[in-house]
Amino acid sequence: MKLRSAESRTADLFAATPARRPHVSSPVALAPQALAPPALNPQPKQLWYAAVFPAMAQLESFAAPLQKLCLHAHAFTSFVSIEPPNALLLEVKGSVKLFGSLQQLHMDIDACWRRLALPAHSAIAPSTLAALWLARAGAASQIEDSKLLRESLAKVPVACTAWDAERLQTLRAMGVTHLGELMRLPRAGLARRLSPALVLDLDIALARQPAPRRAFVRRERFRERCDFETEIEHVAYLEKALEPLIERCARFLRRRQAGIQALQLKLRHREGPATCVQLGLASITSERRRLSDVLCQKLARLDLRAPVRGMELISGSLRALSASSRDVFAGFTGAGSRDSAPQLVERLRARLGEGAVYGVCLIPEHRPEAAWKRVHELRLTAAARVDEESIDQKLPRPVWLLNEPLSLPKPEIIQGPERIESGWWDGKGVARDYYVARHADGVRLWVFQERQSKRWYVHGVFA
Amino acid sequence: MPREIPLLADILADARVWKLKDASAAPARPVWSTGKSSLDARLPGGGWPTASLIEVLLDDTGLGEVQLFLPALVACQRAATRDSGDAPWLVWIAPPHEPYAPALAQQGIDLGRLLVVRPTTATEALWAAEQALSSGVCAAVLLWLKGTDDRWLRRLKLAAEAGGSLGVLFRPEKHRFESSPANLRIVMSHGSPCARVDLLKVQGGRPGPVDLGGP
Repeated sequence: MKLRSAESRTADLFAATPARRPHVSSPVALAPQALAPPALNPQPKQLWYAAVFPAMAQLESFAAPLQKLCLHAHAFTSFVSIEPPNALLLEVKGSVKLFGSLQQLHMDIDACWRRLALPAHSAIAPSTLAALWLARAGAASQIEDSKLLRESLAKVPVACTAWDAERLQTLRAMGVTHLGELMRLPRAGLARRLSPALVLDLDIALARQPAPRRAFVRRERFRERCDFETEIEHVAYLEKALEPLIERCARFLRRRQAGIQALQLKLRHREGPATCVQLGLASITSERRRLSDVLCQKLARLDLRAPVRGMELISGSLRALSASSRDVFAGFTGAGSRDSAPQLVERLRARLGEGAVYGVCLIPEHRPEAAWKRVHELRLTAAARVDEESIDQKLPRPVWLLNEPLSLPKPEIIQGPERIESGWWDGKGVARDYYVARHADGVRLWVFQERQSKRWYVHGVFA
Repeated sequence: MPREIPLLADILADARVWKLKDASAAPARPVWSTGKSSLDARLPGGGWPTASLIEVLLDDTGLGEVQLFLPALVACQRAATRDSGDAPWLVWIAPPHEPYAPALAQQGIDLGRLLVVRPTTATEALWAAEQALSSGVCAAVLLWLKGTDDRWLRRLKLAAEAGGSLGVLFRPEKHRFESSPANLRIVMSHGSPCARVDLLKVQGGRPGPVDLGGP
């Protein structure tokens, strides 16, 4: 076995199908794939169309134009990926049948760029990198079979790989100008001299390694304007006028099975800047009733400084609706349930302000004032109950905690002491003895004596 | 000829006769224990009534007034979780101090379902309470107020009935002589060794002082 693996290491390892793969781990400390080429997948599941736009290389910002091109490319396939700085990759295997044949599809996509008066080089290959390299080489090739990849890639200049300049310089110094010469070199040596990433790239190009890509997803938002024939002065009329807009927004979201968490309403006046009403929702939603409910709450609090001539409703970015919309039906009691918890929280927040509605949670801490905090991100959907078993049942804790301990004379002690000494590491260290005490008029207090100063403070009230 | 005197059993068998004892023993809605047997015994059904408004009049905090409701809050959260798998919310509006999370967790309250609301004005507090009570997702709404009028209390009571939640209103004691639509009115005052509790108004029960000394 040892012999065999040594043999295969020296042999030309980029042979299309290696007859024997070493089964023994190599003594050389390299990534395994650097030594053993993965098996070739003869029936590729994907076919990639690569388009390279040479004119775009000079542009300073390539993101926006490429994203626009992606929208055009979506006419041919649902999977479009951006390859910075100037190329697009389209997965076209699934579209071949629809467009008749691969040749037809290839011509159609090329025609699309021509219509845009955009010079482009294109190629189709079973792997992303092969398509990209072939397109950069300017060879309008069309390879469907992975077995032919090696042969056609051999003629591609090394410069088309877009590896970094230093590596290309090394290759040139070695006398390697085409990929064919590179593929004849032993893998292990290549990986050691240049980089394992280069070997991996070659494997990806030869469709031996999967290379998942990120698809371009179109960013959408709802945006609609509505102009009034007469100026509106009363908020009540605005609410009426808003109804169809909200209805359309909800329909827009429903069609996309998406929801939003933010919404903006712009009220335009005859002069001066538009009034902007921003609102955030407690959870992602697409329900018409919830949107209009919160908008109306916001509008009711609004002071119109001038009559409104028109308005515009702009949604925040669309989010996928989570499966927990069962909230809609999960009320407390069957008969009286009309709202869901997010709706209630939203309505309260819309009127009272974001910070005025919050929850509380525990923090595992010994210092009483640090053992809890406010939470503004509420778990609004049905969630498993957290078992608070860590809490010691025996130690008394008051329902009210004062924000700042108040100084008081030594009270009448009922229960205690409980020593709490903690927090030296963050500069807010405490060394206190806590007691339950009774105030003169019968109020039960949670007091402590500071151990150093021997002074007494009240920290909580047992209500 | 003397008039025929109907037997008591006949009268009771008459469907038109409404028996007070039965009505108070089996209320339409569940009740939640107060945690004090002496107080439970005085309340119709043996505990705080749900879907109603309870008014607690006291001048100072620290009399154990929240403690009287904590067992009920825990019980109704647990019961609803058992029935529907989703715990209902508890809303505390304008509490006089910060509710201390470890103490509430110690008592068994699901902190993930506790909402603290801090409105700036009394009207906003009342509005928030009405919204929360009528929403149907809250098991109980506790509200601390300095003063309010009869009209708002009536709205709160209707909201509590509509939403099926327990509304508790804490007010200063000076309001004890004002009329109030609350189903239950309690006055709490200082006492030794524990606070004194006076039932001012009990629908279906007898008003009077209660000794909280027992368990």
